[in-house]
Formats: sequence, structure tokens, C-alpha cells
Amino acid sequence: MRCIFAAVLLTSATIVSSSIQAAELAKKTIINPPPTAQDWADLAKLPDWSGVWNPKITDQDAQIKTNPPPWNAKAAAEATKMFAEEKAGKPRPLFVECLPEAMPSWMLVTHNAMEFLFTPGRVTMLGESDGNRLRRIYTDGRAHPDEPDPTFHGHSIGHWEGDTLVVDTVGVLPQAFVAISEAVGVPNNGDMHIVERIHLAAPDILHDDLEIIAPNVLTKPWKTTRIYFRQRARKFDIVEGVCLQGNYSERTDADGNAIFVPIERHPWGNLVAPD
Amino acid sequence: MKHPARTAGAFAVLCGVVAGIHSVAAHHSASMFDHSKTMTIVGTAVELRWTNPHVSLSVNGTVKDKAGDEPALWLFEMTSPGNLTRAGGWSRGVVKAGDRVEVDMSPLRDSDKKGGALKKLTLVDTGQVYTANLREQEKPGLE
Repeated sequence: MRCIFAAVLLTSATIVSSSIQAAELAKKTIINPPPTAQDWADLAKLPDWSGVWNPKITDQDAQIKTNPPPWNAKAAAEATKMFAEEKAGKPRPLFVECLPEAMPSWMLVTHNAMEFLFTPGRVTMLGESDGNRLRRIYTDGRAHPDEPDPTFHGHSIGHWEGDTLVVDTVGVLPQAFVAISEAVGVPNNGDMHIVERIHLAAPDILHDDLEIIAPNVLTKPWKTTRIYFRQRARKFDIVEGVCLQGNYSERTDADGNAIFVPIERHPWGNLVAPD
Repeated sequence: MKHPARTAGAFAVLCGVVAGIHSVAAHHSASMFDHSKTMTIVGTAVELRWTNPHVSLSVNGTVKDKAGDEPALWLFEMTSPGNLTRAGGWSRGVVKAGDRVEVDMSPLRDSDKKGGALKKLTLVDTGQVYTANLREQEKPGLE
């Protein structure tokens, strides 16, 4: 009897101990381990995406007609109205107050250059505008968070299939536009999922094959390819592009200090010409 | 500063539009400009605003070949500094206040406003030309 009691006690203690260990493990902070020399060496096996990439804007323009998104009825009606406003010379301002163009519109309608940085476990995309145009694509094998906090560029995880970077993005703010131009686009309204296959189509031409699943504005996934050209001339180096600076003129105040003063704009975005 | 008095006057007018701030769009469509038209303005540069997302040039001038046109302050918009540097060879210093200029531009559809999308800037005294078409960058390996 005494033996049985001791065994039960021991078993109970083991179960309690295991539970505590499991709880401790669950609470343990997930660490991004320091990259090893091999991790850095492995980057050399990736395709060369160095240089600066500028978009093929004429193809963005052409796809407005040749490859329109499969808008649902409500979104189509809004897009039709925006086309009419644009045709009338009073385009709807989509990207207001220098908020980021966000995903997927950065990839869809940008007029500005971008670059890629490869580091162990991550691909980083930097764009030359907005002062904060940046995508972090985690390639370290992690999954999306269960409930990603919505952001302009969403939560992106990627993996390499040969020389193609496959990127999966969720957690984009519902306010982010699915835009087909700087004046025509509809907020995705939530639950958007974007899959991209980014690859070299030629030695100096990059394709981003996008599949945009936006069930609240599209009737089916929309596939589109966006094209970028590689530049190596140093004059193409990405420069600082603080969008908000465009709201100000450089002036000198009465004390001789260099200051910014606000300027006036038309409601549809361009600078106001004097009367 | 070849015409300091005139430049200073135009500068004051430019500062005068600072009232009633209405900052809205950053990256905006260019459809407020009538791209089917080209007008040329001749005059004196007042200020090149070398900022993102759109560079602008103000010019105190008149419509070319329009008899009796009164000099006025015109405002022209372009793409970003980065794009202008690459596509048209621009820099912050290519045009200075007081430089005599000729601007080819597509005017605002609202013809009451003196503004437009700059297509080509010519410096009258040197003949130097700068264009502003960012779609001219659409091939790799540009120099």
C-alpha cells in the first residue's frame, strides 16, 4: 500500500513537473538566432537582384484596359465613377496625406524605383518614396501570426523555389487600396491575401507575378504581372524621398533660420497656381 | 539674380498663396492637366521646389506669341527629384531664380488657373534643355 502511494505521488509530481515545463516553454521568448557564417555564405547562392529597379509604367497604364481586376458590382460602380472623375480632370486623390501606397498598390501603380536587400532569413524591399516605403519579407521559415496586427504592407513570409521568391502576404489594413492608377482604386475592405512570385524574366528585367485575393471587392483572384528594369548607373541610386516635404516650401524666417512653410494644394492634389 | 526686383515681387506673390492650406494628395493623377495641349510660357524663373513627391517650378512670364498677355506667376509640376535626375538630367541647381526660361507644358484643364505639367524646360541664355518624362526610363542598363 505504501509502495502504491509512493508511486502515485511520484507520477503526480512528474505530471505537474511536465506541465510546468510545457508552460515555461510556451512562455519562452522566440529568438531570432544570430546568423552563422554559413547563413551569410548561403546568400551568395541566391539570384543577383542587386541594383535599382524602376517600374514599367506604360504597362501599368496599358493593363488598366487589358487586364482590369474582376471587381464585384459595388467596386466596379465605384471604379466607373472614378474613371469619369479622372476624365473630367478632377481625379480622386487616393494616396492622401502622404500615407503609403501600401500593398498591393505599391507593386501595382508605383512610379518610383526600388531595391532589394538580402540578409539571412529576410528579403527587404525599399522604395524611393513616402519616406517609409519598406517591405520585410521573412524567409526564415516562420508562419504568419495567428492574428496579425493590420499594417499598410501586411505580414509577408517568403521562400525560394529555385530562383523565384514566393511571397505570401496577409494582415494588410482594410483601407489599403487595390489601385489600378493613381486615381482609380477601391479599398480592399479586409481579408485580403496576396501571393507573389518574383523572378528575373531576363538578366535585367524583373517580374512580379501577383495573385490578389480580395473577396470583399473582387469576384475571383486577380492575376497581374508588374515589370521592373534594372539600372546600375550610379545616378539611379535610391535617394531619400520624404513625401511630406512636398507640402512645404523652403524659406528663411525673420531670425534668419531656414524653415519650411506650408503650401496650398487643389482638392485633387496638385499645387495651386496663383490667381 | 538677373532681375532681382521682379523676382522678389513674384516671390512675395508665391508666399501669398500660403493662406488656406489644403494639403491632400501625395502621389496624384496627372489628369487635371490637358495633355492634348501644349503651351509655351516665356519668362523668368522664380523658384524651383526640389521636393518629393513632385518637383515644381514657378515662373513669372507670359504665353509665348500671345500679343498683349500680361506677365503672371505660373506654376508647373513635374515628377520626383529622383526621377527627374535620371530621366531628364535635372538637379536642384539646373535653374535658378532670375534665369530666363521657356517652358513647354500641358495646361491645367481649369484654364482660370495659371499652371501646368512641365514637359520641357529651356534655359534661354544657354540653350540647355531639360525634359520631364519619367516613362523615358523604360529599359534596363540606362546610362
